[in-house]
Amino acid sequence: MPNRKPPAGRFSRLLRRLSRPELVIERRTAGETALQSLRRYPLRTALTLIGLAFGVAALMATIALGRGAQAAISEQVQAAGLNVIQVTAGNYRARGERPIGGIDAPIRHGRLLPSEMLRKLWRRLEPVARAHPENDPMEKHDHPTAAERLGDSAAGLGAAATLTRDDADALGALAGVAQAAPGVHESVRVFRGERRWFTRLHGTAVDLVQIRRSFAIQHGRFFSARELRRAEQVAVLGSVARDQLFGQEEDPVGREVTIWNQTFEVVGVVASSNWLNPGVPGDDEFDAVYTPFTTVHRLLNLTNLNTITVTAASSGRVTEVAREITELLRERHGIGEAQADDFTVSTQASEVLGKGLHPKVAQTLAGNIPNLERTTLRQLAATLEQSSRTMSALLLSIALVSLLVGAIGISNVMLLSVRERIREIGLRMAVGARTGDVGSQFLTESVLLGAAGGLFGVALGAAAALLVQDAFGLRVEISAGAGGLAFVVALATGVVAGLVPARRAARLDPIVALGSE
Amino acid sequence: MDAIEVRDLVKTYVLGEDHRVEALRGLSLSVEEGDFLSVLGPSGSGKSTLMHILGCLDQPTSGEYRLMGRDVSRLDNDERARIRNEEIGFVFQSFHLLARASALENVELPMLYGTRRPGRVERRQQAAEALAAVRLSDRAAHAPSQLSGGQQQRVAIARALANRPRLLLADEPTGNLDTQTGGEILDTFARLNSERGLTVVMITHDRQVAQYASRSVELRDGRILEENAGESSGC
Repeated sequence: MPNRKPPAGRFSRLLRRLSRPELVIERRTAGETALQSLRRYPLRTALTLIGLAFGVAALMATIALGRGAQAAISEQVQAAGLNVIQVTAGNYRARGERPIGGIDAPIRHGRLLPSEMLRKLWRRLEPVARAHPENDPMEKHDHPTAAERLGDSAAGLGAAATLTRDDADALGALAGVAQAAPGVHESVRVFRGERRWFTRLHGTAVDLVQIRRSFAIQHGRFFSARELRRAEQVAVLGSVARDQLFGQEEDPVGREVTIWNQTFEVVGVVASSNWLNPGVPGDDEFDAVYTPFTTVHRLLNLTNLNTITVTAASSGRVTEVAREITELLRERHGIGEAQADDFTVSTQASEVLGKGLHPKVAQTLAGNIPNLERTTLRQLAATLEQSSRTMSALLLSIALVSLLVGAIGISNVMLLSVRERIREIGLRMAVGARTGDVGSQFLTESVLLGAAGGLFGVALGAAAALLVQDAFGLRVEISAGAGGLAFVVALATGVVAGLVPARRAARLDPIVALGSE
Repeated sequence: MDAIEVRDLVKTYVLGEDHRVEALRGLSLSVEEGDFLSVLGPSGSGKSTLMHILGCLDQPTSGEYRLMGRDVSRLDNDERARIRNEEIGFVFQSFHLLARASALENVELPMLYGTRRPGRVERRQQAAEALAAVRLSDRAAHAPSQLSGGQQQRVAIARALANRPRLLLADEPTGNLDTQTGGEILDTFARLNSERGLTVVMITHDRQVAQYASRSVELRDGRILEENAGESSGC
């Protein structure tokens, strides 16, 4: 080998070097030498590391945030309940001839006095479906209950408490229906010792917890099928009701509350998992108490339901399922061709689309767009995703800039280090280091810096992401893939940043290097 | 066999279009194995250039250089690096120790390069032996800044010995030391030369220093001026 002329060209020289058996040993010593050198300048090494680590951390955190946002969005779209169909007893729209958002209303506006306009507006804002003439049966508990005195229709269930438990069972048996939860709704005073809170009570079934995707069981559990069957006095508190009765973030499981002078055992707390819709007082969902509807029926001596909450098995078939429900209920209630429904079927899509339209128009419209849900779903998802993508792009560009700064930092430090250690390089060459040895030492130093910076950065980024999650309640998703990617980027940064300094070191003339002061 | 055989060595530095410096102008020299040669000469006489070529740090413009019988005047960079690593030990005027490494680590340095590359344990042992040869075993863990100038130069000598070369090249090894410490260093060279049969070539401008060598040549304007058999060190 010593007398053979090397083949010309850098590439073949590289090949020749790579094919030598002693390469492993050379790598090892290069690694040792590089590690030693890094250890001999701890401050410089640490500063360089920090620079890169911040860049990597920014990248890591960006990925975690971006992925978290995306996961949150797809979950929100589901949680928005686009596959939920609400069946309400009574048909307020058909009975009251006043349109909900009348087409003719704007014409009259010009002639109205401002106060009349306000009153009109106020009336329109009033929740139509929440009229309960008798809100607090508790007051009269010593006497015959409201239902006993007045019958269902006057006992807070409206004039058209037409839905029954059998209706709910029939709807649940429909092919396109996933779940059907009966609902009896009351406004109640809930007592816990001295504290009391006026809130909504929802008598419902076990399925509700699956239907409401934004439900997160914070403590305990939802009530069980057995408790439902036996009409037991158990209650699941909404987070807002819990805050009011027990205090912020308290765990009330196993404690007792009193409703209608009856004792209910608290078995769980539901909170919102949806950052678009956190629980607020008066929101009907988390400012609420959930009990088995059988318990409400037993205590108030009721038999009918206010609502049946249905989910379509496929969110793309909601309109179709809604139509089937309408037909089935009309048949079950014996409603003739000419008669109006004695119930209302509504979906999220039809509600959105029907806002401000005459109910007939809205109904026709919703009924004639078979893929309405899919369209709105996709649009909603697209809008949300676009905004999250904009944010991700912004964060990513910040991350890339900090990575670039990190890379320049490494490059700079390595160049400085080459200059500073020029005599050392000369000496190493004098005692037998080849250009390749010197080059690979500096490149290895740079790669080690990159790797260590990458590790620190990944850890730092994960920590930062978790901190953001805790501090701002943003959802983050830290994945091994993202960590791996950030690490590889750091490593590549080390390689790229080390190339120029390594080349410069390797090309030094040992005589010049030794002679320089 | 001659350790070093140099014939008609020419080294010309081209500094500009019409500006050439002829550092060596047809120099011939041979050094037997086991010799202790000193090369004397004022600055600008070409002795540093000669040292660089003899140490395979540089190549001659023309002429032949045989080291241990092998022509090394036309080798490429990597092969010259290997020769430096295996055949030659360098001792410099300014020691050139790694400031942040211990004496032992400094001595280990040549073993990190070359074709053999012993493992950590063997490296450590061999470095310790080299330190023992310059009687510095008790300072192995010290950093250069904790050592005196003479001790530092002895560490440098130990480093030169680490790969057990056959030729020791010293460039003004006592230039940064006082006379007494310089004398100790020169005694060390003489001892290594006589005990181990190590060929030593020492470059100096100081006749006093040159006297430690068994033989000395004087350089003037890139040529050997005169050769005189050195008196053995007795002063």
